[in-house]
Amino acid sequence: MSTEVMRAGSGAMRQIAMVFDLNKCMGCQACSVGCKVLWTQEEGEEHQWWMSVNTQPGQGAPKGWEDMGGGLSGGHPVPGHQPSRAEFGGGWDFNYQEVFYGGKGSSVHLKPTEKGDGTTQWGMNWDEDQGAGEYPNSYYFYLPRLCNHCTRPVCAEACPTGAMYKRHEDGIVLRDEDVCQGSRFCMEACPYKKIYFNYARNVAQHCIMCFPRLEEGVAPACARQCPGRLAFVGYLDDTDGPIHKLVNEWGVAIPLHAEYGTGPNIFYVPPLAPYRLHEDLSIDYDTPRIPDAYLESLFGPKVHPALAKLKSELEVVRSGGSSAILDTLIVYNWADLFGPFTTDPATLDRSPQSVAVRLTQKT
Amino acid sequence: MQITQVSTDLGDPGAPGWSAIASEDVSLAPVPIDSQPTEYIRTKWANLPYGNVSTVKMAAAHDGVTAWVRLEWSATVAERNEFPDGAGLYCPNGEGAPAATIGSAEAPVDLVVWHAGRGARALRATGPGCFRPREDGAVAQAVQPAPGRWSVVFAQQLDSVRAAGRIGVVVWDGAGEERAGIGAATPDWLEVTIGS
Repeated sequence: MSTEVMRAGSGAMRQIAMVFDLNKCMGCQACSVGCKVLWTQEEGEEHQWWMSVNTQPGQGAPKGWEDMGGGLSGGHPVPGHQPSRAEFGGGWDFNYQEVFYGGKGSSVHLKPTEKGDGTTQWGMNWDEDQGAGEYPNSYYFYLPRLCNHCTRPVCAEACPTGAMYKRHEDGIVLRDEDVCQGSRFCMEACPYKKIYFNYARNVAQHCIMCFPRLEEGVAPACARQCPGRLAFVGYLDDTDGPIHKLVNEWGVAIPLHAEYGTGPNIFYVPPLAPYRLHEDLSIDYDTPRIPDAYLESLFGPKVHPALAKLKSELEVVRSGGSSAILDTLIVYNWADLFGPFTTDPATLDRSPQSVAVRLTQKT
Repeated sequence: MQITQVSTDLGDPGAPGWSAIASEDVSLAPVPIDSQPTEYIRTKWANLPYGNVSTVKMAAAHDGVTAWVRLEWSATVAERNEFPDGAGLYCPNGEGAPAATIGSAEAPVDLVVWHAGRGARALRATGPGCFRPREDGAVAQAVQPAPGRWSVVFAQQLDSVRAAGRIGVVVWDGAGEERAGIGAATPDWLEVTIGS
């Protein structure tokens, strides 16, 4: 493939971005599984979830990732923690044989096989649905996470071999697995901790934005699999597309932890919350159940005008008016989620001869 | 470094023939922090100790075709390593290659590395951790005679070693999270003398 690549720091010509509307995410993990079925089923990838959905508040995966450092401060790298295999958890083997075929189904529970390495003590969505708060004011929401394909990818800047790089034509951050020596400085440097290590092949791996699909005009698997119609895909500079409007024009889609300094290109429409209940179970219309301070800790001060905008648009519609913002977020037409990437993968000619021709044309 | 001529295959670190080969202690120094290739690495490791292995015991032999270099060292023992113990030998690929930094962008070195659980790889190095795969056979055998104690034999073409005339050594202490340019290397080249 003829691709102009660049070391980190030199601007991409265009930037692929995504927007996730957290008001619609129900944590079904169809995005996570869609990605996993497509990309991380090989040896060494068992524990990898390039796309994952965490429950917030929560510790996420790797466990406590928000306290693991990395990113930039004043434009300079911040030392980060190297997440251990145990901190990612997951990738379990199960005792299927003895439970299903060994006659012990009535006496032995199906459970992960203990390997003594701590990996059975955490997983991608270990604290799913736990949230925070006390009944009747408990609260949580779901947060889909993947590589942010940052404008300033500190992973690529940290890499000593140049294996990690950002594509010039669309800003996707990729790695050359033939060059990667497994030094994992990228994992330390990434503040979002969405880079995994393949212990079998000794290479770092992460979300590739389904670039082979994008090159065929097909949206990423996570976006197409989502039943909630909440994952938008497109170019950030496409003024006719929903990404540009939601992020740049209306300001209702904002980055996660912008203070990490890397310029993430995954944006979120913050979640509106039900109201808190007083002790007598009357509604406290002045206080959302998800504390504003918590949302600000994730999305920064811009979360407040974003939420205010959403509320005002809801009022407009409830009063009989119309809202381009809500029409965009409702997604009446599914294909409107995907920008220029509306090709149905089922329509692609995937015969071996066709694949060989396409690969040849790209080299 | 004296490479003694022998008539037996000494590819196995435990081969009896090694007992007749004199070994020497080779001092290693942390690869200079200022030479690390990225600001992230320089910042992260600025005040962290590394280069934990300060000495390797080195012995070398050849049979006229193959040169065997055996490195022995004591690694830090930990319950679990995220990074493996490893070692490498490197020869200059041209004039002026610095030993202390495992080559440079202007003067690369040919490097053969071994890591526990990963085997041997041939690389071209243009500085600390600036490694790229190289098309060349890389052969190394390792034994661990005691916890934390490694004995590794690198096998190379004698003609290549003769042509280079000098050799460098790098060691990574896995328990210390050493890898890439974070390790201990020979500050100067070891001049090679090939016995007959």
